[in-house]
Amino acid sequence: MGTNGPSLSRRSLLRGAGLVGLGGLLSGCGTALASGVAGTGPPKNTLSYWNLLGGGDGVRMTAMEQVYQKQHPGVALSAVVLAWGNPYYTKVSLATLGQRPPDVAISHLTRASILAQAGLLEPLNEAELAPYGLTGANITPAAWNMAHTNGTLYAIPLDTHPLVMYYNTDICKKAGLLGPDGSLKNLDNPAALTDALTAAKKVTGAYGGVFSINNDTATPWRFFSSLYYQLGGSVLADDGRKIVLDEAKADKVLSFIQNLSKQGLIPTSVDYPGAITAFATGKAGFYFEGDWEITTFETTKSPFSMTAFPNVFGGGYAVQADSHSFVLPKDPRRTDAMRQQIFVFIRSLLGQSGTWAQGGHIPAWLPFQKSAAYDKLKPASNYKGVADHVRYDDRAWYSGSGSDFENIMGFAIGAVAAGQMAPAAAIADMKSKLTQYANTPSPV
Amino acid sequence: MSVQAVPVGTAAPARAAAGLRKPRGDGRAGWGLTAPFLIFYVLFLIGPTVYGIVMSFFNSSLQHSGLGGFAGPDNYTQALTSSDFWQSMWHTVLFTLMTTPPLVAIALMLAVFTDRLARGRWFFRLVFFAPYVVPSAAMALIWTWLYTPQIGLWDSWLSAVGISDPPNWLADPSWAMASVALATVWWTLGFNFVLYLAGLQEIPRNLYEAAAVDGASRWHQLRRITIPLLNRTTALVLVLQIIASLKIFDQIFLMTAGGPNYATRPLLEYVYDIGFTDFRTGYAAAASMLYFLVILAVSLVWFFVSRRQPKEA
Amino acid sequence: MSTIAAPRRRDQSAVRARARTTDRRARYFNWFCASVLVVFAAIWVIPLLWALDTSLKPDAIIAAHPTSWWSGTWTLHAYQTLFDLGNIQTWYLNSFVIALLSAVFAVAACSMAAFAIARTQFTGRRWVYGLIAAGLLIPPQVLIVPQFQEFNAAGLLNTYWVQVLPAVAVPIAVVIFVSFFSGIPAELAEAARVDGASWWKIYRTIYMPLSKPAISAVFIFTFVWKWNDFLWPLLTLTNPRIMTLPVGLSQVSSAFGIMYAELMASAVLGALPLIVVFLLFQRQIVEGIATTGIK
Repeated sequence: MGTNGPSLSRRSLLRGAGLVGLGGLLSGCGTALASGVAGTGPPKNTLSYWNLLGGGDGVRMTAMEQVYQKQHPGVALSAVVLAWGNPYYTKVSLATLGQRPPDVAISHLTRASILAQAGLLEPLNEAELAPYGLTGANITPAAWNMAHTNGTLYAIPLDTHPLVMYYNTDICKKAGLLGPDGSLKNLDNPAALTDALTAAKKVTGAYGGVFSINNDTATPWRFFSSLYYQLGGSVLADDGRKIVLDEAKADKVLSFIQNLSKQGLIPTSVDYPGAITAFATGKAGFYFEGDWEITTFETTKSPFSMTAFPNVFGGGYAVQADSHSFVLPKDPRRTDAMRQQIFVFIRSLLGQSGTWAQGGHIPAWLPFQKSAAYDKLKPASNYKGVADHVRYDDRAWYSGSGSDFENIMGFAIGAVAAGQMAPAAAIADMKSKLTQYANTPSPV
Repeated sequence: MSVQAVPVGTAAPARAAAGLRKPRGDGRAGWGLTAPFLIFYVLFLIGPTVYGIVMSFFNSSLQHSGLGGFAGPDNYTQALTSSDFWQSMWHTVLFTLMTTPPLVAIALMLAVFTDRLARGRWFFRLVFFAPYVVPSAAMALIWTWLYTPQIGLWDSWLSAVGISDPPNWLADPSWAMASVALATVWWTLGFNFVLYLAGLQEIPRNLYEAAAVDGASRWHQLRRITIPLLNRTTALVLVLQIIASLKIFDQIFLMTAGGPNYATRPLLEYVYDIGFTDFRTGYAAAASMLYFLVILAVSLVWFFVSRRQPKEA
Repeated sequence: MSTIAAPRRRDQSAVRARARTTDRRARYFNWFCASVLVVFAAIWVIPLLWALDTSLKPDAIIAAHPTSWWSGTWTLHAYQTLFDLGNIQTWYLNSFVIALLSAVFAVAACSMAAFAIARTQFTGRRWVYGLIAAGLLIPPQVLIVPQFQEFNAAGLLNTYWVQVLPAVAVPIAVVIFVSFFSGIPAELAEAARVDGASWWKIYRTIYMPLSKPAISAVFIFTFVWKWNDFLWPLLTLTNPRIMTLPVGLSQVSSAFGIMYAELMASAVLGALPLIVVFLLFQRQIVEGIATTGIK
């Protein structure tokens, strides 16, 4: 078995080193240890803030946080960036259940609604927000409305990010799609859009337009739903307990999409980075995605501009969108003083909407949205008019950004665009999968 | 109390007499010593198992305390008819099928070769086992970096040998599982390697010497002596590996997030998504119980098989 | 006489000739084994070495030459950034405390129970041992949902206890200790009982000191298991200040995004502690695996 001498001395050595190290760590992390053992809270005057913003958005948000920090040196801002998607909301939920939520967190409005129904968010009352200017009068009405669940306010919107249409100015010029002032001509009907894409395809030699299909369910959903909403349709009702998918309208939209891909106007197999590359390198004249890719194309110095997604099917204008917003996860230990600090923080970030808008999002903060400074931001302000006409995903416990709902819909729509499924089959697929969810009792 | 020198011959009857007497204090001491363990055991292992089984028959939610509405067998029927559930189960099984053979065979080969060495054994043990103590998070970061398209090390090697357009290892549905499996082989081979080394040490050297005198080649010795005598170790390595692979979660969650588009999501991640993202703890408990049955089945097969194996002399 | 000796001499030379070929074949085989081992070992060290290499490169070099091993300069900048952020030290502390407490309590509780089962004759011990052995079949992963609810109800989420408490009662540790204690002669205990020693005293002063291999095996396994545990802390330690190292490393990107040097530095720092532990306790760890495996 070997002697016990050497191992003992090695272990005591490690023990000694460990204790010394522990002492050193303890002096710096005493509160962490106390927190772990006894469940005490963080030191006062820390403001913990979680968000899921990476890439360009992350950089801008960090800059805004730093401005806030400089203005409020007495508050230690602790900003944590977590991965985008379902895991982020899982973490926020678990942290709230675990009695250690962040003081303030970013949430998509569609997900905030679910968190609110689950009882994980603190309700906000407009009286206490008024002194900070955080009122409905200063926020985009559509977003402000969505920020209410069952009549109570739970979130303060930061922006609205709709589906938009990017277009390559060089290609469109060659295709004769630009007017004399350089702006894109009106594409507000199916024929016009199809013709525009055909013309663009002639110039590029590859595709007319592109949106990502592979390994991406969100983008196909956004494209489909914008058109579907323009026809006046809804998908879910009664908090997701009923499926009200209008088969005729859905068929109309899916056939339109199928037509585009059959004519080779859009690629049948392209993933998210591939779509970006296709547009950036001029293989496609049009690109359909959320507004956040503006920085990407500015970096690649592509000759591009952006405009609102066309009102293809007439009717009232509609386009799919979601919004980033600030929420306060439920925390029984939160003091009034802390709430005030959070509102000051939110107000500070909203005041920096100018920085935020450079990322392409339409700021929800009306004082900036209506200002001349925002107008000067091109092409970001080209589509600002849609902010009041956006449609958020229908409310349900399984809906929202990055949710199972979007996955189900996006999968079927993507399959139609890829030529793998006929519209009728896709609709059947959507309905059967959604029905399963509709029939499941809501866990919130 | 005086110590009496008891002659050896009377030791046995004395002990027997003591046994008959059922020593006092044994019960109290026994239960007292076992109590701490039992308290933790019942509270945190047995209790949750029972609670999980009960919960699986209700529509429990993460948000609400209590069991929620009674669901009867609905959770189980939903799981058994859910394509997501079966696909996740398949992914777990596929992962097990992809990782177990290399983890057993390569470990065996390397252990046999290492056993041959007179010196330097510690070096190879270090190299092959060190990855095993690395946490999954670190391993996932490293291998994601290695697999990064174009600027990752593997792709640069591939382009150096002429393969200029390799698939996106972690984002291509056809390659994602294999990529994670390969990283897992690197990560956990060391454990089986050490087990095999230990098994190899148990084989008496004179068996080899006798065979060598009889003119048997090394290969021959390998086939006729080493491998058969390692049967017990191989069985152990095999079952441990299968059960460990069935519990896969970390690497896939970290490297592909179950994607692309749930193409790699294992069953445990399905439970995580259902229970903790969708808040449906009752349903997740049912899925966990079905998952438990699978692992239990494997364990029991091993149990009965190992019982019937003749014990080594 | 000579007729007998001559055949023997002829046999001997034949034997020696055969021995020489087997020797040569053995040497070739050994060379073959060694080469294969070296190749595999080279492949095996590459990931860790590459991570280390990347972590020491300046970001500009990574952008320009991401796949070259050496580009002239190296820097500790990435590590500096990580330490400045302050999270990693907290995570080290959390991981260390949790792993240490778990290992200590597990050794204590499991060895006590095993001793009682192995050496005391208390009624019902067979049932208890059976119950414990049955627990071997229950993987902790299937219990995450009910355990979460349990700890949630107890208000213990986001504390060390949610990690330590489930790690104390580990059936395999009891089995290891039982088998080890059974190997220690019963006469030792009986002699001490005759002397009037209590079972607790026997356990503490006789059996435990003799059980260093088992103690170190269980201690190290529990320590390593809790240090590397991922799923359970992912669910229950959701505040960055209380996270363990694996969870913190993987969940908190802190705007690193695509800064590979920092990512690799965090990976290296994540891998380092247990590799050091392994270097220091190689023998115990390997022996532990071997003995528990063979058992």
